[in-house]
Amino acid sequence: MNVAAESSKLRTARVKERKVSLGLLLRLGIGLLVLAFFAYRFYGVLARQAYGAETWARLAISGLIIGSVYAVIALGYTLVYGILFMINFAHGEVMMIGAFAGYFVLEAFAASGFSARQPVLAILITFLAGMTVSMLVGISLERIAYRPLRGAPRLVPLISAIGASIFLQNAAQLMFGSMRRTYSNPPALERNVGWVLDIAGKPVSITYTGVLTFAFSVVLMIGLYLLVQRTRLGRAMRAVAENKEAAALMGVDVDRVIANTFAISGVLAGAAGVMWGLHNGIIYHYVGFIPGLKAFTAAVLGGIGNIPGAMLGGIVLGIAESLAPAVLDMPFQLKDVLAFAVLVLVLIFRPTGILGEVLAEEKV
Amino acid sequence: MKRRMLLFGTLLVIAGLLLSSCAPAATPAPTAAPATEAAPTATPAPAQAEPTATPAQPAAQVTDEWGVVVIPAGKTIKIGLAGPLTGDYANFGIDISRGAELALEEHPEVKGFKVEFVTQDTQGSPEQGAAVANKFASDPQMVGIVGHIFSGETEASIPIYEKAGIVMVSPSATNPTLTELGSKVFNRVAFTDKMQGEFAAKYIYEKLGVRKVVTMHDGGAYGQGLAGVMAEAFKALGGEVLGTQAITPGETDYSAPLAAVAALGPELIYFGGYDTDAAVLVSQMESAGLKGVIFFGCDGTYGENYLKLAGKAAEGTYSTYVPIPESEAFEKFRARYKERYGDEQGKLSPFSPHGHDAMAIILAALEKVAVVQADGSLAIPRKALADAVRATKDFPGLTGTITCSEVGECAAASIQFMVVKDGKWVVAE
Repeated sequence: MNVAAESSKLRTARVKERKVSLGLLLRLGIGLLVLAFFAYRFYGVLARQAYGAETWARLAISGLIIGSVYAVIALGYTLVYGILFMINFAHGEVMMIGAFAGYFVLEAFAASGFSARQPVLAILITFLAGMTVSMLVGISLERIAYRPLRGAPRLVPLISAIGASIFLQNAAQLMFGSMRRTYSNPPALERNVGWVLDIAGKPVSITYTGVLTFAFSVVLMIGLYLLVQRTRLGRAMRAVAENKEAAALMGVDVDRVIANTFAISGVLAGAAGVMWGLHNGIIYHYVGFIPGLKAFTAAVLGGIGNIPGAMLGGIVLGIAESLAPAVLDMPFQLKDVLAFAVLVLVLIFRPTGILGEVLAEEKV
Repeated sequence: MKRRMLLFGTLLVIAGLLLSSCAPAATPAPTAAPATEAAPTATPAPAQAEPTATPAQPAAQVTDEWGVVVIPAGKTIKIGLAGPLTGDYANFGIDISRGAELALEEHPEVKGFKVEFVTQDTQGSPEQGAAVANKFASDPQMVGIVGHIFSGETEASIPIYEKAGIVMVSPSATNPTLTELGSKVFNRVAFTDKMQGEFAAKYIYEKLGVRKVVTMHDGGAYGQGLAGVMAEAFKALGGEVLGTQAITPGETDYSAPLAAVAALGPELIYFGGYDTDAAVLVSQMESAGLKGVIFFGCDGTYGENYLKLAGKAAEGTYSTYVPIPESEAFEKFRARYKERYGDEQGKLSPFSPHGHDAMAIILAALEKVAVVQADGSLAIPRKALADAVRATKDFPGLTGTITCSEVGECAAASIQFMVVKDGKWVVAE
């Protein structure tokens, strides 16, 4: 009797094993098929010599810059997710508000001639303004939309976040109008002007705004990493991420840590918004939505909750987006589709993202 | 469980992205129902009778194949406008509705019945265009439509109005195929993209002496159609079309598609689309390796908005403009526009005179076919109205003397190419 039960248990286990391997095979098969298709298309592009080295360089530069902005926004998603296990869908809108704050400050500076006289100071103040306003928006979001729902099931704050996103978008449309506005950069930081490299005998320009965007993103990422790893606040944040109750018992003010997390993610979003405005030039009430979605994707791609993962995910997504249509010889209108195809491919092989999730607690 | 949450989130993102990418772009043609005789007659009958459902009312003396709209005494006749009134392309809708409103002020009544102008927002999208069309079609007092404004939404709405028997005059839907659907209700005073694309190809080949072009478009019915027509015509002239590139409208960074275009080595980029996207393209051309390449837009990229957004980068770029001939009526129209709305006419879009003429044509046709009945109500036969619009001949409009062809092409104007010099649009030689 006992033996029979044992053997039947064994049999079900074996069946399960076979099922798992079948699923894995299927996934691998699909993944390999897609990869083979990609390789075939890419071979076609290479064989035709459709693009020279200078084009690849231009595409990579464009991807690197946009990717670094995605990375900074993705950090905000990842921070909040790491601590609250909640996706803050209004994060893109926080970035949009930051972009508007920077716009108005820069506009005033341009009108008074201050940005021509003191470009460095003007840019610094613009960033500060964008980051401060976004920080305030982030904190109030947490207070109004998320804190009252702290104990609720996990879907509830998610819906609240989507509501907050729509609210902020429409509020911005009502306050600032639906027209597009152009950032008035200081003359020293003119858009689309920069150093010109010579690659394969063709000029490849690296714009000043692009370099600023990339460099400042890296600074922000390093700063955030140090903040989380080396400071008291960072330790408290990690403690709350590990276990809220235990952290509270150890004397960590959980509410304050969460508010601080939202403030930091707001600061990052504000910086991203101002970078977006300075580099791309055009902002409007909808400008945060798509980058917000992309950055969320980047966070998942890198492994959500994982700070280096968000950075890597952002850069990979940015580069995939600008290179993939050229690699596969498809119209650039399909770049979003291709970016998501990359996401799906990565998740097939690594369901927790490139670097994996950093999770101590088993989340429901 | 957690992974399932992630999956849900990812799905949500993908759905959001799909939705947003669909918004301004056109969807593939809704299978355009060829106007069979049977289709229109079937549905309007129940739709039109309601407002008059007073028991004593005998059957209307006026009869019509598509049904008769009966407006009881004291009620208003309704004319609708559907187009983008909010969002990115709001300037077109607002400007055109102002033009139509001014036309209505000149001619506020038909046979003693007041005409009411109803505007509805579509944001320029085909999905919302169809929704608004359904709303208008269910209104028994609705007799005519100024619109729709974009080609994509117009394409989506024609079958709906066709079924309801409501006549349309579009001021600005320029996609050539729209009048090839065999619709009995659709007419337009807009200059078509076919004419525009062919003229542009000729101008680029002969006047600018360009032999190698790349076409770009925003994937919408208007932009893609125009770019296609231009490419065909340019090839027919002996020029070389090196390739075509589609962009996602509404973005603020097109450096990657531009770099891919630069690899083809064109002398000129021909763009079919709207001003905001064109402004982003021209400002990023130089850093994408397209220095010295001419940017040639279309009538969707003409206007002050483009100059404001593109700034210095706009210098030397081209667009098309359908000029309004100088006339006393147009002079007056401009003055009234300024007085009424505070803006300079032509600042928002070049289409307000077209909006005016579309409305004026519908009103003139109403005047011809509407009949006051014995009980004081007004009868408007639907098919007779559509036929009267189609039969418009030598109508004095702002855009010129308007005569409609048998498929509903009523454009009077000719075309002009414009170039930016010192921050202003001037006529190109």
